[in-house]
Amino acid sequence: MKYEHCIRCTICVENCPVFRVNPEFPGPKQSGPDAQRFRSDRDKAEDEWVLLCSQCKRCEMACPCGVEPAEIILKAQQRYGLEHSHTPAHLLFANNYYLSALGSLTVPFANMIASAEIGKKAFRALGISTHIPFPKFRFRTMRKEKKILNKGTRKVAFFYGCFINFYRPDIGRKIVRLLSALNVDVVLPPQWCCGLPALGNGNLALAKYFAQKNASSLSNYIDAGYDIVYTCTSCGLCLLHDYPGILEIPQGKKVAENCYDVHEYILKLIHEEYAKPVFKETPRKIAYHIPCHLRALNIGYPAAKLMSLIPGLECDILDDTCCGLSGSYGFKKSNAATSIQLGNRAVSFIKKTKAKEIVADCGSCRMQLGGLSGLSAFDPAEILCESLGITDQK
Amino acid sequence: MIKTDVIIIGGGATGCGIARDLALRGIPHCLIEKGDFAAGATGACHGLLHSGCRYAVTDSIAASECYEENLILRRIGRKCVEQTGGLFVRLPGDSKRFRELFLRSCEDVGIPTEVISSTRAIELVPNLNPEIEEAIKVPDCSIDPFRLCLLNIRTSELRGGIIFTRHKVTEIIKSHGRCTGIKAVDQATGEIREIHGNIIVNATGAWANMIASLAGCEVPMTLVKGSLVITNHRLTNMVINRLRHPSDGDIIVPNEAVCLAGTTSLTIDDPDNLLTESREVDTIISEAGKMIPHFNNTRIIRAFSGVRPLLKSKKADSHEISRGFQIIDHENGLYSIAGGKLTTFRLMAEKMVDTIMASFNLKKSCETAEIPLDGQEELSGYPLSKRLADMKNIVCECELVTRQEVERIIRQTGTRNVGDIQHRTRLGMGPCQGGFCTFRALGIMNDMSVISPKQSMEMLRGFLQRRYRGIRHALWGDQLREEQLVEYIYMGILAMEKHE
Amino acid sequence: MSVTEYDVVIIGAGVAGLTAGALLSERGFKVALVTEGEPTACLSTGCVDVCSRDHKPLSGIHDLPPEHPYHLVPEKITGEALNYFKTAMMDMGLPYAGWAEENRFVLSALGTLKTSCLVPLTMKAAPQDDKDSIHIITFKGLKDFYPGYIVSRRKNTKFSVYDAGVNHTMGLASHFEEKEFFEKFMIWLERLNIDEDKIAFPAVCGMESAADIINTIAILTGKPVFEIPTIPPSMPGRRLFNALKGYFRKKGGMIYWSWRVEGTEKAGRLVEAVATHSEGRPNSINARAFILATGSFVGGGLTATRESIIENVFNLPVHTDGPRETWFDHDYFSLNHGIGRAGIIADSSLRPTDSPWENIFVCGGILANTEILKNGCGHGLALATAHVAARSCAEYLSHEI
Repeated sequence: MKYEHCIRCTICVENCPVFRVNPEFPGPKQSGPDAQRFRSDRDKAEDEWVLLCSQCKRCEMACPCGVEPAEIILKAQQRYGLEHSHTPAHLLFANNYYLSALGSLTVPFANMIASAEIGKKAFRALGISTHIPFPKFRFRTMRKEKKILNKGTRKVAFFYGCFINFYRPDIGRKIVRLLSALNVDVVLPPQWCCGLPALGNGNLALAKYFAQKNASSLSNYIDAGYDIVYTCTSCGLCLLHDYPGILEIPQGKKVAENCYDVHEYILKLIHEEYAKPVFKETPRKIAYHIPCHLRALNIGYPAAKLMSLIPGLECDILDDTCCGLSGSYGFKKSNAATSIQLGNRAVSFIKKTKAKEIVADCGSCRMQLGGLSGLSAFDPAEILCESLGITDQK
Repeated sequence: MIKTDVIIIGGGATGCGIARDLALRGIPHCLIEKGDFAAGATGACHGLLHSGCRYAVTDSIAASECYEENLILRRIGRKCVEQTGGLFVRLPGDSKRFRELFLRSCEDVGIPTEVISSTRAIELVPNLNPEIEEAIKVPDCSIDPFRLCLLNIRTSELRGGIIFTRHKVTEIIKSHGRCTGIKAVDQATGEIREIHGNIIVNATGAWANMIASLAGCEVPMTLVKGSLVITNHRLTNMVINRLRHPSDGDIIVPNEAVCLAGTTSLTIDDPDNLLTESREVDTIISEAGKMIPHFNNTRIIRAFSGVRPLLKSKKADSHEISRGFQIIDHENGLYSIAGGKLTTFRLMAEKMVDTIMASFNLKKSCETAEIPLDGQEELSGYPLSKRLADMKNIVCECELVTRQEVERIIRQTGTRNVGDIQHRTRLGMGPCQGGFCTFRALGIMNDMSVISPKQSMEMLRGFLQRRYRGIRHALWGDQLREEQLVEYIYMGILAMEKHE
Repeated sequence: MSVTEYDVVIIGAGVAGLTAGALLSERGFKVALVTEGEPTACLSTGCVDVCSRDHKPLSGIHDLPPEHPYHLVPEKITGEALNYFKTAMMDMGLPYAGWAEENRFVLSALGTLKTSCLVPLTMKAAPQDDKDSIHIITFKGLKDFYPGYIVSRRKNTKFSVYDAGVNHTMGLASHFEEKEFFEKFMIWLERLNIDEDKIAFPAVCGMESAADIINTIAILTGKPVFEIPTIPPSMPGRRLFNALKGYFRKKGGMIYWSWRVEGTEKAGRLVEAVATHSEGRPNSINARAFILATGSFVGGGLTATRESIIENVFNLPVHTDGPRETWFDHDYFSLNHGIGRAGIIADSSLRPTDSPWENIFVCGGILANTEILKNGCGHGLALATAHVAARSCAEYLSHEI
């Protein structure tokens, strides 16, 4: 009954990116704790507007009373999803994993279609926005990588996530080499979509299905003495928060207890004096956009701390704005206007710093901010690798 | 000066019921209420439409009346009665003999009951204390007393009845020893209104003796204060009673988005000076907590007291005083109707109007039990989730009242009192208790020019003082935290002073 | 276990916590600030009330009852704290007007004159008496601002309504920073040909660049322009919070959001770490000293149960007037509710008295006997006590090793 702690202070409302620009969304307070008093298991869900919430969780980070509005809304979204039919866009994004797998098998063809005018038309017909280019599929996905064994005492199982796997396996390979350079054994456990896209598109059953498969796989590695490392902050939030929470996965707690953000893990290695990386001078000025879900992970900003160890690197931390894409949220035509406005606001903050490059942990943040600003956007691991002289090739 | 046949004093359920009955039987009438409808005992009760079971053991006549009225109201008042059903729960240690007596008495009266296992009861009401021995399912319902009054009045309005709220009766006019009219003062303007009629009905509940004394008559009554607490949200979708002799804190009723729990029973003298005491609040919470443990740590948003106008009796324990009602013919054209309870208001009205018809030598019989209440088609009624369909332009964020609704009420009633808006829309009835929305509602009234800016300031001040009386006894935990915020807003951000 | 080493952990992201954090970071200490959520400062008017009991705030402080925590702050430090604040805010692009020697007024949304000391530049032109005639600009459907209240109080006050197509303060603030909207609005405003002495707005004139926007309107209309603080969501409160947060970060501080302290690790007379709930591994932060700046009830530093009042982080002893019956006066407007005196009693180093821990310092609204509303001393007291706490903490840290 966390919602009864709400004192109507409106701090969550002030922090809601969607409320700021979309008058159709009543905001986290009214959609969460206020509306909750009127939701009952006995009545049909009438609150279609809950679907406008992008689940950025900024309201939860800001709430001084522990209300967790986003969680209340997430549950309402699942319920609405159960009781009403889904739009084509919701169906497609919930099943993004399968579609992407198909895309990566048919790389040249899929990319051609996605970027051609006819493809864009088809997207729009399905209710999918084309305001930024769809990411390109890569043939050599992470699945095709081999594990690297160093015979170190630390062993990690790397949960790389769909974005890295299908679109940016080069970053995935860099992370593997980065960990390996710190004398850590890295394996790539059997894995599927974390389940968040399904959850975000109102398909609880599919989310549970993915989560259960991942949890069983990761659990085996934990038993064998592996730590789990993720790089996508949204995958991480799902593993840590939703597996033991809304998805009710039996091994959820065990997975959550053994999961680390890759930068958090490297910091830990340094702190415990297991690794002593020597960062080379990297004279760059970057704007570090903090993804909403990294904030929500509650682990501070570990990549910022690591980057602060790099000589010559000038880093401005920006954590007041949401990029607006929120995974598949901004790709839905109904949310595109909201998404673009939010993205442009985030870009204006970035431009104020005068940095010429964007760094963000989350692939979809990079896609949106890079797409809207025309600047190049990097994963923090790419910056670390550059400073340590690591490339994605052996 | 207004001339009519019957003057009704009091806009509680009884008065409104009488107005409806008179309207349906074609008798011209005028109703005077000193505040708003349901301002006395009607509005300060659980909002429980009794099945009659509670009285089955002690007062079989009252029980039978309740059950019949319960069936009638469920039929005629679909939009103000929520058919929740009720449970009487037996806790470990509660008398098994009372259970037998209870079941037998209900059977004698003819009220259907069903004994169910604790497992089944917890399926129905998941928040129930898992340790209950068993439960008895009964046809209790939840009723919205304020809506009930308004719907009754609607019939009267549609058929030419004259209604004055916020008019206080100051004098009963007599001529040749007979009561022939009243004088009432308009609380807003101070204007005096004179109304003449052949019969005056005193339906003022706890104030019956005060009104009767204006005509030199007496209504012997015992005034019993009962306190209640309101929770932040629904903890049960059914009415929960304790299976034992009626006692403090043994009824929990879901109503709209909240639950009401109570009551206590303390004899008092002055119905205008009610004080809720901390120990009453603690008693209710701990008793209700035995049935629904969550009560012990849930958020209480308000604690308040009402007065039961009971007919004088020699019995010492006020729970035992008869809930039956009585019509007193003062034999001078004034009738007082006293006692009774919310559930039987229609029956009371019927008997009262029967008496009036007899004195007028008219024959038309009562139809209030057959014809559905007027004006229900406009109401959203239940379920609650319907309120979530339109979330634009919300003024009261707790009870989801829109600006359009507030403006509609202001236009419809021409009210200059924010309390009237609150009663008709539930504005300010939620957890913040009007702390945020009243500032807005008064601002809207001022925007619409129904009140002057100066009045809006005075009303805001008056409202905050009244509101404080209601929440003061529920201030701890989250409610205290929110109240400190509201105080910070008014005294800090808005720099409000006590006086100009 | 996830462990991080800091010199100081500050609990609470309000005016007191962020100021103490900036001061300690400036001195080269490694500072982490943990907070459950955003502070009450976001809800405030953004004004720094120092003490409203006298026209001269420092004399007002002098007259406060002896148990008031202001008396733990040397007068010199109060003055320094206010200057430090002004300089810091100027640095962050949020200039303030006013000085410690004199109080000034801001016009409230009810039309009263609220006493404050340092006020955002956007409120500088507020009337200081009841003489100025004022033209208020409000926005159609705006839910939290009703100019009628002000018109009822002040003679020669008028208002005009602009339809901006949005009914909440945040949306308006966003609009004001859009060039197209602003230009259209200014055309409308100039056509009004306002006769009154001054132009007033509810505080919705932008978020990051409010001072510039107000200044531009003043230049274009040729009249003094000022903002009227609104009930939450309060833009001036948020501007203040953003500026303080930015300043703390700029000095090198680290903020952990949504980090409600749910456990502590202790050894002997020292607190060694604070921990928060986590879905995953236990999440704790080590430090050599701790500053408690969690605020009072609204801020979440104190919680009242039916039986008593509890300090939420370290379970420090809480001063109260007595049992529940004594917390609230019978008159709502008395400003004399016992609850306003509840809090932590501290010594002149701002260590809590009767506490076994020697590395905890307390500042801001959680202190006992503040009676913030009665004495009009919110952010001022927070700034002053933050300086003392930071000083004591720094001294402790330098001696400790």
